[in-house]
Amino acid sequence: MSILESVGKVFNLSLIYATFRASTPLIYAALCAAITQQANILNIGTEGIMLVGAFSAVAVSYFTGSWILGVLVAMCMGALISMIMAVGHIKYNSEICAIGMGINLFAIAITKFLLQTIFNTNGVFASPDIVPIPRIHIGIFDKIGVLNSLFNDWCFTEWFVIIFIFLLQFVFYKTVWGLRLRAVGQLPQAAQTAGIKVNKIKYQAMLISGMIGGLAGAHLSLGYSAQFVENMTNSRGFMGVAAMYFGGANPILTSIGCLLFGFSDSVGARLQAYGYPAQFVLMMPYIVTVIVLAVSMYIKLSSSKKRQSSLVNN
Amino acid sequence: MKKSIQGIIKILLILILSLSVGAIFILAIGENPLVAYTALIKGAFGTKLGLGTTIAGFTPLLLTSIAFAVAAQAGAFNVGVEGEVILGGITAAYIGINWGFLPVPALYIACFLGAMIVAGLWAFIPAYLRAYYNVSEVCVTILMNTVALYIGSYLVSGPMSAGTANPQSDPVLVTLPKIMKPSAANVGLFIAIIIVVLVVFMIYKTKWGYKIRAVGQNPFNADYVGISSKKVFINAMILSGMLGGIAGCIEVLGVHGYYLDNFAKDLGTNGMLSALIVRSDMLFTPFIAFFIAVLKSGAMAMQQSTNVPKSIVDTVSAVFIIIATMEFVIEFRKRSKLNKMAKGGNK
Repeated sequence: MSILESVGKVFNLSLIYATFRASTPLIYAALCAAITQQANILNIGTEGIMLVGAFSAVAVSYFTGSWILGVLVAMCMGALISMIMAVGHIKYNSEICAIGMGINLFAIAITKFLLQTIFNTNGVFASPDIVPIPRIHIGIFDKIGVLNSLFNDWCFTEWFVIIFIFLLQFVFYKTVWGLRLRAVGQLPQAAQTAGIKVNKIKYQAMLISGMIGGLAGAHLSLGYSAQFVENMTNSRGFMGVAAMYFGGANPILTSIGCLLFGFSDSVGARLQAYGYPAQFVLMMPYIVTVIVLAVSMYIKLSSSKKRQSSLVNN
Repeated sequence: MKKSIQGIIKILLILILSLSVGAIFILAIGENPLVAYTALIKGAFGTKLGLGTTIAGFTPLLLTSIAFAVAAQAGAFNVGVEGEVILGGITAAYIGINWGFLPVPALYIACFLGAMIVAGLWAFIPAYLRAYYNVSEVCVTILMNTVALYIGSYLVSGPMSAGTANPQSDPVLVTLPKIMKPSAANVGLFIAIIIVVLVVFMIYKTKWGYKIRAVGQNPFNADYVGISSKKVFINAMILSGMLGGIAGCIEVLGVHGYYLDNFAKDLGTNGMLSALIVRSDMLFTPFIAFFIAVLKSGAMAMQQSTNVPKSIVDTVSAVFIIIATMEFVIEFRKRSKLNKMAKGGNK
């Protein structure tokens, strides 16, 4: 009986929104990685781009009192950071993992430095002057209990991410630019022969990826919370990259992967109330991510092997 | 020989470049970069305590940087050294506390062996996933670092807790003697140097090391000539993990004398940083590791005597990597040489 009761407390209607809420930053991060992956660039710097975005969003929102400006500046800063990576990787042949990790370390260090010099604090910067991204309250839903608990008071960027997933899906698979992007990723030589400017497409992909990453950071610091914490991304960028692998850089499948990680995160957060050690709860999303990633890659590999062997038999 | 001199010149150029980027940041907050950098050098070398702290910081970095470089020789990007340090440390602490029935010399060996085995097994997981299922080792190792951190944190605040307010374990029965009191520098330095020399020798002078380098350069070619690239890859990752484990063991037995939660913070990252700057060249990596250790230990003194926060040091070293990964310095030199040749031809 008591077990059933507690299961009911963990798995109830509000878990759906909790899952979505925890997943949204991951989805943005994963989409940031997906767009460059389509051009065959592994964007390990997602984490760093997000962190810089998160910081600039909070800083701009604090000084100007406008969350729109904060989000826009965060997107620009994300684009700037990703362009550093793009120039290093495309023009100067940097190994993408190496420069990506460099960017991540740089982001942690520079945000810490700026936190100390601009705001004179260590660790956490929170202030009532930070204007968060508004939550959308739909009056009609108030009376309908289910809809109220499910859909009311979502953050603006949480609604936007749903549109954005389908937008990217459309861009990747239904537009000329998307076709070119995927062509560049799959076989650059062939793309070049077909008259596509490979490097131009790669730069464009990195630029857009940087803007999405900046948005991811802005959502994390202004939508998900209303503060900046040192290293607040906390490997979310890497989880996004893992989800991207899970979904094979397909926006919809990738987002499903993110929901899975978000689900384990929010279930874990509820289990903590039932006396499970905090560390086990905290490490759960990471373990789930690794296992899901391994299983999905295993399935992908064995299905491609099957396809190859059937080709030989035919 | 000429090539290595060119390499040194390149590193020095990048060093100057990234220090000047740091100087711009320091100027921007209204401080004098020269004063700040002098304070940093003084802090790292000026006093016996400072020098000892630098050496104590250098010891684990030497091992973690070589750990990253070994994996890189086989083409792996092992970000998981930090997790391996943590698990090596907690294993060494467990054996050092509970296996008192062993005679003293055997207990030392047990601590080191235990740390190596556990850390090696931990590194085996991402290596196996990468080799057989093509799962990105970067992603897996980063996520596993967090898992390792929480495992250590759980053990030290639960089953292995000493019951103090700070999450830490009971003191271990055997410790490595300190060499420069009152600093934390200890005999571990010599152990680390011996191990690193052995590993570098193995990589460059033995058949086993040759296989690793062959797989790193071209796994398909290696498979073609009869080297199993997957097995060699896994071996290199395990060796890398073991080196991380040794670093953890030395930290626990030498520096702290007990397992302290979060003791490995940034050890793996800074090791990776040192190796990345020289593109995992194993001969140069130790020198960069030393340089990074100097920066880290001097940073505190700099922060105390000037108004420059020590995070500037992390910024400078990150800029160092970003520039170092690019090939433009070499290209620039080549181009100027070509220009010279072209001019000479015209005459």
